[in-house]
Amino acid sequence: MSDLNLDATQLDRYSRHVIMDEVGPGGQAALLDASVLVVGAGGLGAPVLQYLAAAGVGRLGIADDDVVERSNLQRQVVHADADVGRPKVDSAREFVEALNPDVAVDTHQTRVDRDTVSDLVDDHDVVVDASDNFATRYLLNDACVLADTPLCHGAIYKFEGQATTVPAGGAPCYRCLFPEPPEPGTVPDCATTGVLGVLPGTIGAVQATEAVKLVTGIGDPLHGRMFTYDAADLSADEVPYRANPDCPVCGDDPVDSVASQTYQETCVVSE
Amino acid sequence: MGPSEIDFSERDGLPVVHWKLFADLRERAGAETVAVGDPRTVGEALDVLLAEHDALRERVLDADGDVVADVNVLKNGANVFDAGDGLDEPVGEGDELALFPPVSGG
Repeated sequence: MSDLNLDATQLDRYSRHVIMDEVGPGGQAALLDASVLVVGAGGLGAPVLQYLAAAGVGRLGIADDDVVERSNLQRQVVHADADVGRPKVDSAREFVEALNPDVAVDTHQTRVDRDTVSDLVDDHDVVVDASDNFATRYLLNDACVLADTPLCHGAIYKFEGQATTVPAGGAPCYRCLFPEPPEPGTVPDCATTGVLGVLPGTIGAVQATEAVKLVTGIGDPLHGRMFTYDAADLSADEVPYRANPDCPVCGDDPVDSVASQTYQETCVVSE
Repeated sequence: MGPSEIDFSERDGLPVVHWKLFADLRERAGAETVAVGDPRTVGEALDVLLAEHDALRERVLDADGDVVADVNVLKNGANVFDAGDGLDEPVGEGDELALFPPVSGG
Protein backbone atom coordinates (compact mmCIF):
# COMPACT_ATOMS: atom_id res chain seq x y z
CA MET A 1 0.00 0.00 0.00
CA SER A 2 2.92 2.37 -0.55
CA ASP A 3 2.53 2.96 -4.28
CA LEU A 4 -0.65 4.46 -5.74
CA ASN A 5 1.25 7.35 -7.30
CA LEU A 6 1.66 9.63 -4.28
CA ASP A 7 5.00 11.40 -4.47
CA ALA A 8 7.14 12.18 -1.43
CA THR A 9 5.70 15.66 -0.99
CA GLN A 10 2.17 14.32 -1.19
CA LEU A 11 2.91 11.55 1.29
CA ASP A 12 4.05 14.31 3.64
CA ARG A 13 1.20 16.75 2.93
CA TYR A 14 -1.49 14.10 3.31
CA SER A 15 0.26 11.99 5.96
CA ARG A 16 -2.61 12.35 8.44
CA HIS A 17 -4.93 10.85 5.84
CA VAL A 18 -2.47 8.26 4.59
CA ILE A 19 -1.85 6.80 8.05
CA MET A 20 -5.57 6.26 8.66
CA ASP A 21 -6.77 2.79 7.82
CA GLU A 22 -10.07 4.24 6.62
CA VAL A 23 -8.45 6.61 4.12
CA GLY A 24 -4.93 5.37 3.43
CA PRO A 25 -3.00 5.96 0.22
CA GLY A 26 -5.92 4.57 -1.77
CA GLY A 27 -8.39 7.07 -0.36
CA GLN A 28 -5.95 9.92 -0.81
CA ALA A 29 -5.34 8.88 -4.41
CA ALA A 30 -9.11 8.89 -4.95
CA LEU A 31 -9.27 12.46 -3.63
CA LEU A 32 -6.44 13.55 -5.91
CA ASP A 33 -8.24 11.93 -8.83
CA ALA A 34 -11.64 13.51 -8.03
CA SER A 35 -13.36 16.54 -9.53
CA VAL A 36 -15.87 18.49 -7.44
CA LEU A 37 -18.03 21.40 -8.59
CA VAL A 38 -18.75 24.02 -5.93
CA VAL A 39 -21.65 26.26 -6.89
CA GLY A 40 -21.35 29.50 -4.94
CA ALA A 41 -18.14 30.99 -3.53
CA GLY A 42 -19.87 32.72 -0.63
CA GLY A 43 -20.49 31.82 3.00
CA LEU A 44 -20.93 28.09 2.41
CA GLY A 45 -18.61 27.86 -0.59
CA ALA A 46 -15.67 29.37 1.29
CA PRO A 47 -15.21 26.59 3.88
CA VAL A 48 -16.15 23.95 1.31
CA LEU A 49 -13.34 25.17 -0.95
CA GLN A 50 -10.89 25.48 1.94
CA TYR A 51 -11.34 21.93 3.15
CA LEU A 52 -11.63 20.29 -0.27
CA ALA A 53 -8.48 22.10 -1.39
CA ALA A 54 -6.64 21.11 1.76
CA ALA A 55 -7.81 17.52 1.33
CA GLY A 56 -6.26 17.46 -2.12
CA VAL A 57 -9.33 17.14 -4.33
CA GLY A 58 -7.55 17.14 -7.67
CA ARG A 59 -9.88 19.41 -9.60
CA LEU A 60 -12.20 22.02 -8.16
CA GLY A 61 -14.76 23.82 -10.30
CA ILE A 62 -15.94 27.12 -8.82
CA ALA A 63 -19.08 28.76 -10.21
CA ASP A 64 -20.22 32.20 -9.05
CA ASP A 65 -21.25 35.34 -10.91
CA ASP A 66 -20.84 37.80 -8.02
CA VAL A 67 -18.11 40.22 -7.04
CA VAL A 68 -16.84 40.50 -3.48
CA GLU A 69 -18.63 43.07 -1.33
CA ARG A 70 -17.37 44.31 2.00
CA SER A 71 -20.48 42.93 3.72
CA ASN A 72 -19.42 39.44 2.56
CA LEU A 73 -16.21 39.46 4.58
CA GLN A 74 -17.96 38.79 7.93
CA ARG A 75 -18.38 35.14 6.84
CA GLN A 76 -16.90 34.46 3.37
CA VAL A 77 -13.42 33.60 4.57
CA VAL A 78 -11.66 32.95 1.24
CA HIS A 79 -12.01 36.61 0.27
CA ALA A 80 -9.90 39.42 1.76
CA ASP A 81 -10.45 43.13 2.23
CA ALA A 82 -8.35 43.89 -0.85
CA ASP A 83 -10.66 41.66 -2.94
CA VAL A 84 -13.68 43.95 -2.60
CA GLY A 85 -14.96 44.59 -6.13
CA ARG A 86 -13.15 41.61 -7.67
CA PRO A 87 -14.96 38.53 -9.02
CA LYS A 88 -15.41 35.99 -6.24
CA VAL A 89 -14.16 33.20 -8.49
CA ASP A 90 -10.82 35.02 -8.84
CA SER A 91 -10.14 35.47 -5.13
CA ALA A 92 -11.43 31.95 -4.43
CA ARG A 93 -9.06 30.55 -7.05
CA GLU A 94 -6.11 32.42 -5.54
CA PHE A 95 -6.93 31.11 -2.08
CA VAL A 96 -7.09 27.52 -3.29
CA GLU A 97 -3.92 27.75 -5.36
CA ALA A 98 -2.00 29.31 -2.47
CA LEU A 99 -3.17 26.56 -0.12
CA ASN A 100 -2.47 23.54 -2.28
CA PRO A 101 -0.63 23.40 -5.63
CA ASP A 102 -1.98 19.87 -6.20
CA VAL A 103 -5.42 21.29 -6.97
CA ALA A 104 -6.36 22.37 -10.49
CA VAL A 105 -9.01 25.11 -10.42
CA ASP A 106 -11.60 25.82 -13.11
CA THR A 107 -13.53 29.03 -12.60
CA HIS A 108 -16.92 29.80 -14.09
CA GLN A 109 -17.95 33.41 -13.59
CA THR A 110 -21.51 32.76 -14.61
CA ARG A 111 -24.91 32.30 -13.10
CA VAL A 112 -25.75 28.62 -13.14
CA ASP A 113 -28.97 28.39 -15.15
CA ARG A 114 -30.85 25.92 -17.31
CA ASP A 115 -28.50 26.54 -20.23
CA THR A 116 -25.22 26.12 -18.35
CA VAL A 117 -26.01 23.64 -15.59
CA SER A 118 -25.79 20.38 -17.51
CA ASP A 119 -22.31 20.96 -18.95
CA LEU A 120 -21.04 22.02 -15.52
CA VAL A 121 -22.54 19.05 -13.68
CA ASP A 122 -21.55 16.48 -16.31
CA ASP A 123 -17.91 17.43 -15.98
CA HIS A 124 -17.63 16.58 -12.25
CA ASP A 125 -17.85 13.57 -9.94
CA VAL A 126 -19.62 15.39 -7.09
CA VAL A 127 -21.50 18.71 -6.89
CA VAL A 128 -21.70 20.86 -3.76
CA ASP A 129 -24.65 23.25 -3.56
CA ALA A 130 -23.33 26.35 -1.81
CA SER A 131 -25.72 28.69 -3.61
CA ASP A 132 -27.91 31.29 -1.94
CA ASN A 133 -31.30 31.00 -3.62
CA PHE A 134 -34.07 28.49 -4.18
CA ALA A 135 -34.00 28.73 -8.00
CA THR A 136 -30.38 27.53 -8.17
CA ARG A 137 -30.95 24.92 -5.46
CA TYR A 138 -33.87 23.24 -7.25
CA LEU A 139 -32.07 23.50 -10.59
CA LEU A 140 -28.95 21.81 -9.16
CA ASN A 141 -31.01 19.09 -7.51
CA ASP A 142 -32.82 18.31 -10.74
CA ALA A 143 -29.72 18.49 -12.96
CA CYS A 144 -27.68 16.28 -10.62
CA VAL A 145 -30.42 13.66 -10.31
CA LEU A 146 -30.85 13.53 -14.09
CA ALA A 147 -27.06 13.29 -14.58
CA ASP A 148 -26.62 10.59 -11.89
CA THR A 149 -24.22 12.88 -10.04
CA PRO A 150 -24.34 13.04 -6.23
CA LEU A 151 -25.12 16.41 -4.64
CA CYS A 152 -24.07 17.75 -1.23
CA HIS A 153 -26.74 20.26 -0.22
CA GLY A 154 -26.36 22.91 2.46
CA ALA A 155 -28.38 26.02 3.32
CA ILE A 156 -28.50 28.56 6.13
CA TYR A 157 -30.89 31.02 7.75
CA LYS A 158 -29.84 33.33 10.59
CA PHE A 159 -28.78 30.77 13.26
CA GLU A 160 -30.09 27.62 11.56
CA GLY A 161 -28.56 25.33 8.97
CA GLN A 162 -29.63 22.34 6.89
CA ALA A 163 -27.51 19.76 5.07
CA THR A 164 -28.31 16.58 3.16
CA THR A 165 -26.73 14.48 0.44
CA VAL A 166 -28.64 13.41 -2.65
CA PRO A 167 -27.29 10.11 -3.99
CA ALA A 168 -26.60 9.66 -7.70
CA GLY A 169 -29.99 9.37 -9.37
CA GLY A 170 -31.85 10.60 -6.30
CA ALA A 171 -34.56 8.46 -4.70
CA PRO A 172 -34.62 10.31 -2.47
CA CYS A 173 -33.72 13.81 -3.64
CA TYR A 174 -34.22 17.31 -2.22
CA ARG A 175 -37.62 17.53 -3.94
CA CYS A 176 -38.79 14.38 -2.14
CA LEU A 177 -38.47 16.34 1.12
CA PHE A 178 -39.44 19.78 -0.20
CA PRO A 179 -41.44 19.22 -3.44
CA GLU A 180 -41.59 22.94 -4.21
CA PRO A 181 -39.94 26.07 -2.85
CA PRO A 182 -41.98 28.53 -0.77
CA GLU A 183 -44.38 30.74 -2.64
CA PRO A 184 -42.70 33.94 -3.88
CA GLY A 185 -42.89 36.68 -1.31
CA THR A 186 -43.61 34.41 1.65
CA VAL A 187 -40.05 34.10 2.98
CA PRO A 188 -37.67 36.94 3.81
CA ASP A 189 -35.39 38.13 1.02
CA CYS A 190 -32.03 36.41 1.30
CA ALA A 191 -30.00 39.57 0.85
CA THR A 192 -31.76 41.34 3.70
CA THR A 193 -31.71 38.45 6.17
CA GLY A 194 -28.90 38.48 8.67
CA VAL A 195 -26.78 35.44 9.32
CA LEU A 196 -24.40 34.58 12.14
CA GLY A 197 -21.01 34.78 10.43
CA VAL A 198 -19.67 31.48 11.72
CA LEU A 199 -22.83 29.52 10.80
CA PRO A 200 -21.87 28.84 7.15
CA GLY A 201 -18.50 27.63 8.46
CA THR A 202 -20.27 24.85 10.35
CA ILE A 203 -22.66 23.87 7.57
CA GLY A 204 -20.03 24.22 4.82
CA ALA A 205 -17.73 21.95 6.81
CA VAL A 206 -20.53 19.36 6.91
CA GLN A 207 -20.92 19.62 3.13
CA ALA A 208 -17.16 19.22 2.62
CA THR A 209 -17.25 16.21 4.96
CA GLU A 210 -19.94 14.63 2.83
CA ALA A 211 -18.03 15.29 -0.40
CA VAL A 212 -14.87 13.70 1.02
CA LYS A 213 -16.91 10.70 2.20
CA LEU A 214 -18.49 10.24 -1.22
CA VAL A 215 -15.13 10.37 -2.99
CA THR A 216 -13.42 7.97 -0.59
CA GLY A 217 -16.39 5.71 0.13
CA ILE A 218 -16.04 6.23 3.87
CA GLY A 219 -18.94 6.15 6.32
CA ASP A 220 -22.64 6.77 5.85
CA PRO A 221 -23.64 9.83 3.83
CA LEU A 222 -26.67 11.94 4.70
CA HIS A 223 -28.84 9.97 2.27
CA GLY A 224 -32.53 10.34 3.12
CA ARG A 225 -31.62 12.41 6.17
CA MET A 226 -31.77 16.19 6.51
CA PHE A 227 -29.24 17.26 9.14
CA THR A 228 -30.42 20.33 11.02
CA TYR A 229 -28.33 22.60 13.18
CA ASP A 230 -29.16 25.51 15.46
CA ALA A 231 -26.19 27.63 16.45
CA ALA A 232 -28.20 29.61 19.02
CA ASP A 233 -28.73 26.64 21.33
CA LEU A 234 -25.96 24.53 19.76
CA SER A 235 -28.23 21.63 18.95
CA ALA A 236 -28.34 19.26 16.01
CA ASP A 237 -30.98 16.85 14.79
CA GLU A 238 -32.02 15.10 11.64
CA VAL A 239 -35.25 14.70 9.71
CA PRO A 240 -35.57 11.43 7.77
CA TYR A 241 -37.21 11.52 4.35
CA ARG A 242 -38.22 8.95 1.76
CA ALA A 243 -38.20 8.70 -2.01
CA ASN A 244 -41.43 10.12 -3.39
CA PRO A 245 -42.81 7.98 -6.26
CA ASP A 246 -44.50 11.14 -7.59
CA CYS A 247 -41.24 13.14 -7.54
CA PRO A 248 -40.91 14.84 -10.95
CA VAL A 249 -37.15 14.17 -11.18
CA CYS A 250 -36.49 10.88 -9.35
CA GLY A 251 -39.97 9.33 -9.16
CA ASP A 252 -41.69 6.77 -11.35
CA ASP A 253 -42.30 9.16 -14.27
CA PRO A 254 -39.41 11.63 -14.31
CA VAL A 255 -38.91 14.58 -16.63
CA ASP A 256 -36.27 14.22 -19.35
CA SER A 257 -34.30 17.38 -18.65
CA VAL A 258 -34.28 20.62 -16.72
CA ALA A 259 -35.41 22.32 -19.94
CA SER A 260 -38.95 21.20 -19.12
CA GLN A 261 -38.94 23.11 -15.83
CA THR A 262 -39.01 26.79 -14.98
CA TYR A 263 -36.82 28.02 -12.14
CA GLN A 264 -37.34 31.43 -10.63
CA GLU A 265 -36.50 32.81 -7.26
CA THR A 266 -38.69 31.05 -4.66
CA CYS A 267 -40.86 29.64 -7.42
CA VAL A 268 -40.81 26.71 -9.82
CA VAL A 269 -43.61 26.07 -12.27
CA SER A 270 -43.91 23.22 -14.74
CA GLU A 271 -44.26 24.47 -18.29
CA MET B 1 -40.33 28.77 30.58
CA GLY B 2 -38.16 31.18 28.60
CA PRO B 3 -39.38 34.20 26.72
CA SER B 4 -39.17 32.26 23.44
CA GLU B 5 -41.79 29.76 24.56
CA ILE B 6 -45.53 30.31 24.56
CA ASP B 7 -47.84 28.01 26.50
CA PHE B 8 -51.40 27.61 25.32
CA SER B 9 -52.21 24.69 27.61
CA GLU B 10 -54.75 26.56 29.66
CA ARG B 11 -55.84 23.77 31.95
CA ASP B 12 -53.32 22.26 34.30
CA GLY B 13 -53.00 18.49 34.37
CA LEU B 14 -54.05 17.81 30.78
CA PRO B 15 -51.66 16.12 28.36
CA VAL B 16 -49.46 18.63 26.54
CA VAL B 17 -47.72 18.37 23.19
CA HIS B 18 -45.20 20.84 21.89
CA TRP B 19 -44.78 22.33 18.45
CA LYS B 20 -41.23 23.10 17.42
CA LEU B 21 -40.91 25.73 14.71
CA PHE B 22 -37.96 26.23 12.35
CA ALA B 23 -36.52 29.17 10.41
CA ASP B 24 -39.00 31.76 9.12
CA LEU B 25 -41.92 29.94 10.77
CA ARG B 26 -40.31 30.66 14.13
CA GLU B 27 -40.40 34.38 13.40
CA ARG B 28 -43.96 34.34 12.17
CA ALA B 29 -45.06 32.71 15.42
CA GLY B 30 -42.74 34.79 17.59
CA ALA B 31 -41.70 31.62 19.39
CA GLU B 32 -39.49 28.56 18.91
CA THR B 33 -41.86 26.25 20.72
CA VAL B 34 -45.59 26.41 21.39
CA ALA B 35 -47.34 24.10 23.86
CA VAL B 36 -50.83 22.84 23.01
CA GLY B 37 -53.11 21.28 25.62
CA ASP B 38 -54.83 17.96 25.03
CA PRO B 39 -55.09 17.63 21.24
CA ARG B 40 -56.20 14.21 19.97
CA THR B 41 -54.63 14.48 16.53
CA VAL B 42 -51.92 16.37 14.70
CA GLY B 43 -54.65 18.24 12.85
CA GLU B 44 -56.23 19.43 16.10
CA ALA B 45 -52.87 20.54 17.39
CA LEU B 46 -52.24 22.41 14.15
CA ASP B 47 -55.63 24.12 14.33
CA VAL B 48 -54.88 25.37 17.85
CA LEU B 49 -51.43 26.56 16.85
CA LEU B 50 -52.59 28.42 13.75
CA ALA B 51 -55.66 29.91 15.43
CA GLU B 52 -53.34 31.83 17.70
CA HIS B 53 -50.87 32.92 14.99
CA ASP B 54 -52.33 34.60 11.90
CA ALA B 55 -48.97 35.27 10.25
CA LEU B 56 -47.99 31.64 10.65
CA ARG B 57 -51.31 30.43 9.23
CA GLU B 58 -50.82 32.56 6.12
CA ARG B 59 -47.46 30.89 5.51
CA VAL B 60 -48.44 27.31 6.34
CA LEU B 61 -51.87 26.91 4.73
CA ASP B 62 -52.75 27.50 1.08
CA ALA B 63 -55.98 29.05 -0.21
CA ASP B 64 -57.75 25.69 0.15
CA GLY B 65 -56.66 25.32 3.76
CA ASP B 66 -54.15 22.57 2.97
CA VAL B 67 -50.60 22.56 4.30
CA VAL B 68 -48.30 24.04 1.62
CA ALA B 69 -45.91 21.69 -0.18
CA ASP B 70 -42.71 23.12 1.26
CA VAL B 71 -43.64 22.80 4.94
CA ASN B 72 -43.14 19.35 6.47
CA VAL B 73 -45.38 18.37 9.38
CA LEU B 74 -43.36 16.13 11.69
CA LYS B 75 -44.30 14.01 14.70
CA ASN B 76 -41.27 12.99 16.73
CA GLY B 77 -39.12 13.79 13.70
CA ALA B 78 -41.05 11.82 11.07
CA ASN B 79 -43.29 13.26 8.36
CA VAL B 80 -46.89 12.45 9.35
CA PHE B 81 -47.94 12.11 5.72
CA ASP B 82 -45.19 9.56 5.00
CA ALA B 83 -44.99 7.66 8.26
CA GLY B 84 -48.39 8.24 9.83
CA ASP B 85 -52.03 9.03 9.17
CA GLY B 86 -51.43 12.59 8.06
CA LEU B 87 -53.31 15.20 10.05
CA ASP B 88 -55.41 12.38 11.57
CA GLU B 89 -52.27 10.97 13.19
CA PRO B 90 -52.97 10.64 16.95
CA VAL B 91 -50.84 12.55 19.42
CA GLY B 92 -50.33 12.23 23.14
CA GLU B 93 -48.40 13.48 26.11
CA GLY B 94 -44.75 14.02 25.32
CA ASP B 95 -45.02 13.90 21.53
CA GLU B 96 -43.05 16.62 19.78
CA LEU B 97 -44.58 18.07 16.66
CA ALA B 98 -42.67 20.27 14.25
CA LEU B 99 -43.19 22.46 11.19
CA PHE B 100 -40.08 22.23 9.03
CA PRO B 101 -39.54 24.45 5.96
CA PRO B 102 -36.56 24.72 3.58
CA VAL B 103 -34.07 27.58 3.87
CA SER B 104 -32.04 28.98 0.99
CA GLY B 105 -29.24 31.15 2.35
CA GLY B 106 -25.66 30.47 1.45
